[in-house]
Amino acid sequence: MVALVIALALFFDFTNGFHDTANAMATPIATGAIKPKTAVALAAVLNLVGAFLSTEVAKTISGGLIREGTDGIHITPDIIFAGLMGAVLWNMITWLKGLPSSSSHALFGGLIGAAVVGIGFHSINFETVLQKVILPAVIAPLIAGFVAYICTRLAYALTSRHDPETGDKLTQKRGGFRTGQIFTSSLVALAHGTNDAQKTMGIITLVLIAGGTQAPGSGPQFWVITACALAIAIGTYAGGWRIIRTMGSGLTEVKPAQGFSAETSTASAILASSHLGFALSTTQVASGSVIGSGLGRKGTSVRWGTAGKIALGWLFTLPASAIVGALTALLVGTGVVGVVIAAVVGTSAVVFMFVVSRRSHVGHHNAVEVDEAGHAVQFRKKKKNRKTTPSGDVQR
Amino acid sequence: MKWLELLQVAGVTLVAAVTLVVLYSLGVRLTAIAGDAQQKSPALIRSLAYVCFGVCGIAVLFGIYLIVPYFGK
Repeated sequence: MVALVIALALFFDFTNGFHDTANAMATPIATGAIKPKTAVALAAVLNLVGAFLSTEVAKTISGGLIREGTDGIHITPDIIFAGLMGAVLWNMITWLKGLPSSSSHALFGGLIGAAVVGIGFHSINFETVLQKVILPAVIAPLIAGFVAYICTRLAYALTSRHDPETGDKLTQKRGGFRTGQIFTSSLVALAHGTNDAQKTMGIITLVLIAGGTQAPGSGPQFWVITACALAIAIGTYAGGWRIIRTMGSGLTEVKPAQGFSAETSTASAILASSHLGFALSTTQVASGSVIGSGLGRKGTSVRWGTAGKIALGWLFTLPASAIVGALTALLVGTGVVGVVIAAVVGTSAVVFMFVVSRRSHVGHHNAVEVDEAGHAVQFRKKKKNRKTTPSGDVQR
Repeated sequence: MKWLELLQVAGVTLVAAVTLVVLYSLGVRLTAIAGDAQQKSPALIRSLAYVCFGVCGIAVLFGIYLIVPYFGK
């Protein structure tokens, strides 16, 4: 059981990695600041480094969502297994749909569902759920979107150049923002590594302690750290191209100045939130930033249909993964046969989704075709702007 | 509810991001001006632009400082 949970946890880490590549790298890829493959490689390396930097977060993973300890409620490997199953399946579904959704929320949802079935409703601390999951989900995109909107406005106002006499527009020369994007997006990737790989380390450590192979209260062991770091880095390198496409060109058309503003807002929001004690989801912050920067530039339209789909995805993240978690917990509760059935069904579901995904392959070559256009924009920016229809047909 | 923390996060995010973007935009703008043909003192303006980029670089380093817990403790 313990080995099974560890394998599943590492797979969750992997899905977490490729789910969240988009947060850091979608906008630089979309503007052509970094080549797609280089971008995911950079993000992977930064995630790897980030995972080794800190093990602080690992110690507080479930963070009081489930009432542990004093009331005698014990998180068993069974419940963690069920919770992970919920999170992994939901991550795969949202990836298939190309929706950026929070992996942490999926994990919380799965654990909550599993705990309700495995232990009972009293095991859930609903106030914490509201405070840690639901409220941030509403607020994160609002804050990030607003800040990104202001930043985009400022960036364009400061760099718009007109001829003093004729009032004609001069060449704007905003290419410099591309270089800036490399740094801001790297910052986001590094912050992601320090946070998200920790969650899996925390889970594996929890299982090891519950399984009695590790002393309670001790930190994650070295091989756990290494395995998690590698899993998230490989996941990141695999690249969730579908989600990158949604974030990079599905929501709005991203130009370098916008991309820079969005990434700066994302980085600021994540750093501020993780250091001032109001945790916000990276995915939600990043999506909000992209929408905000889309609103901030004149002549761009935000595809609210896509934004709505993403919001709907967030709404379902918690309950959907909770339901899968709960079902798995029910199965696991029946004994060894149940565990085997759950594992087989889960694996085949993942394989099935992977097979479905191959039908409409989205890879680095076609994730964001703005990449090529991004280089062309340097020379004939004006023409490109006029061509864009306000309804904004998808760039493929 | 931690409303105070929430406000703090929103405020800090706004100030930090706006400061960075303004500085970087100024840098981009100054570089563009320095590249103009009729400009008399491109060197001065270009160095001003580099100052702007430099401050942004420091901000990024500060970000790394915040991320890496080793420095924070």
